[in-house]
Amino acid sequence: MLLAAEGLVCGYGAADEILHGAALTVRSGEMVAIIGPNGAGKSTLLKAVAGMIRLKSGTIRLNGTAVERISARERARLGIAFVPQEANIFPSMTVSENLEMGGFLEPSATRRRVSALFERFPILAEKKRTTARTLSGGQRQVLAMAMALMVAPTLLLLDEPSAGLAPLAAGQLFSAIASIHREGTAIAMVEQNALAALALADRGLVLVDGRPVREGEARAMAADPEVRRLFLGQQDLPLAGGSAPGPTPHRSTAIATRPPDPSGPGPHPLI
Amino acid sequence: MSFLQALVNGALAGAVLALPALGFNTVYAVLRFPNFAIASIATAGAYAGWIANVLWGWPAPPALLVAFVAAGAVGATTDALALRPLRLRGPLTAAIGSVALDLLLQNALRFGFGNDPRGYDLPVFRDWRLAGISIGPQEVEDAGLAFITMTALFLLLRFTRIGKTMRAVADNASLAESKGIDPARVAWIANGVGFGLAGIGGTLVALDTSLDPLTGFRVLLSIFAAAVVGGLGSIPGAIAGAFMIGIGEELSTLALAPTYRTAIGFLAILVVLSFRPRGLLGERAY
Repeated sequence: MLLAAEGLVCGYGAADEILHGAALTVRSGEMVAIIGPNGAGKSTLLKAVAGMIRLKSGTIRLNGTAVERISARERARLGIAFVPQEANIFPSMTVSENLEMGGFLEPSATRRRVSALFERFPILAEKKRTTARTLSGGQRQVLAMAMALMVAPTLLLLDEPSAGLAPLAAGQLFSAIASIHREGTAIAMVEQNALAALALADRGLVLVDGRPVREGEARAMAADPEVRRLFLGQQDLPLAGGSAPGPTPHRSTAIATRPPDPSGPGPHPLI
Repeated sequence: MSFLQALVNGALAGAVLALPALGFNTVYAVLRFPNFAIASIATAGAYAGWIANVLWGWPAPPALLVAFVAAGAVGATTDALALRPLRLRGPLTAAIGSVALDLLLQNALRFGFGNDPRGYDLPVFRDWRLAGISIGPQEVEDAGLAFITMTALFLLLRFTRIGKTMRAVADNASLAESKGIDPARVAWIANGVGFGLAGIGGTLVALDTSLDPLTGFRVLLSIFAAAVVGGLGSIPGAIAGAFMIGIGEELSTLALAPTYRTAIGFLAILVVLSFRPRGLLGERAY
């Protein structure tokens, strides 16, 4: 097992617990789609695995090594690459500089990987001297993913890569993700577009109220009437057998039309 | 004094002021709090420059290098020892701690060097006169050295790996950490470089005025005003702000008694915070 995270409990404050025993397993080379209603803790689960949020309890093993107590930086060294949904680029730096920082841990491979990524994503080559903040939403997401690929990660964590993208851009991004997966990189992806995510993934994980309520083969899950009812915008019913409260407002599976702001809180440009 | 003379004097003063302002903004961009101890750290740099120049007999450029190293070391070490624990409690706590640190350093310098003003051992030149404007060769040299230092900072940030990691942390600290960049190490480097610049700036200010334990403190308001006007955390902003404050202070002497020149800094901060809180070139309001 590449990643085995169990019993994760954490949140953003004493009174605000988001994960109540969440779990995530990813086998080597496997792609897992994490789906669930709004506020289920999907993004928090990825952040917990990446080390961006402190755990109250739970264990995270990467290739058998316990990593729950080490920093995000040390987890990155072990091969975990996290692509946040927002604030996932360095906005005042150029596309090339962003890639260089993405490959910070493996500087000797920078030149080779940058040219490989420029071949894979020609838009980045075209914009290599452009300041990242001027990129479109889709271009930013491509850059963010390319930055994660600068270190040849063993586990790629993608947090809603298609959020805020137009259908065409989202489609292109999904095909890029599929090809990264085909090359053998293990991926755990949180996605609001549940159908698209399950179509790409090997396995699906349904998270409700910070707990895993269903896990299984992605194709079967996509065909599951209950999952379809919940995540394909048909009816809003709680999952059978789940002790968790019913998923309150869930997102439609249509491509989100949220205005893109992947640059996050805003930069402090040094130059 | 003519308008043109005030403009030239202001530009020369602005070039010197730009260095501590750059230092202030470099530290702000990476560590996210205003470190007011920069005043006494700049003074400490000026004393180090004085030791190199007067006691060791070194000329100005290598003495400035000594000032850079000494101020950078004092700034980075005091930050790690005194302010790092306070940063965890928020930027305001760290900022207040930096005021206390400034007083501590100022009095340590007073204890070590006394209150008497010191002078550097540099040749005195007659002012140049050009079209009715008089220009001091020392001021021109100071501005030239300031310009060289600014260029070096730009090259560092633009082209070196260390500089790029500093920009990355300034842009997005948590993303930088997730890419494997060590924020504590970058903080050391940013403090070293930022306060090093303040040390050079402090020496140049002391060359132009006098060296005593309050040398840096007297220009603290101007430094802070330059940083706020240009945009806290912005490198081009610090330079633009320093020239605006430098020229503004000189121009004010055309209409007001020179004692009021420091009011220009207050006025500039007031106007900028009222109408454009992020400053001229800053990216976000604070």
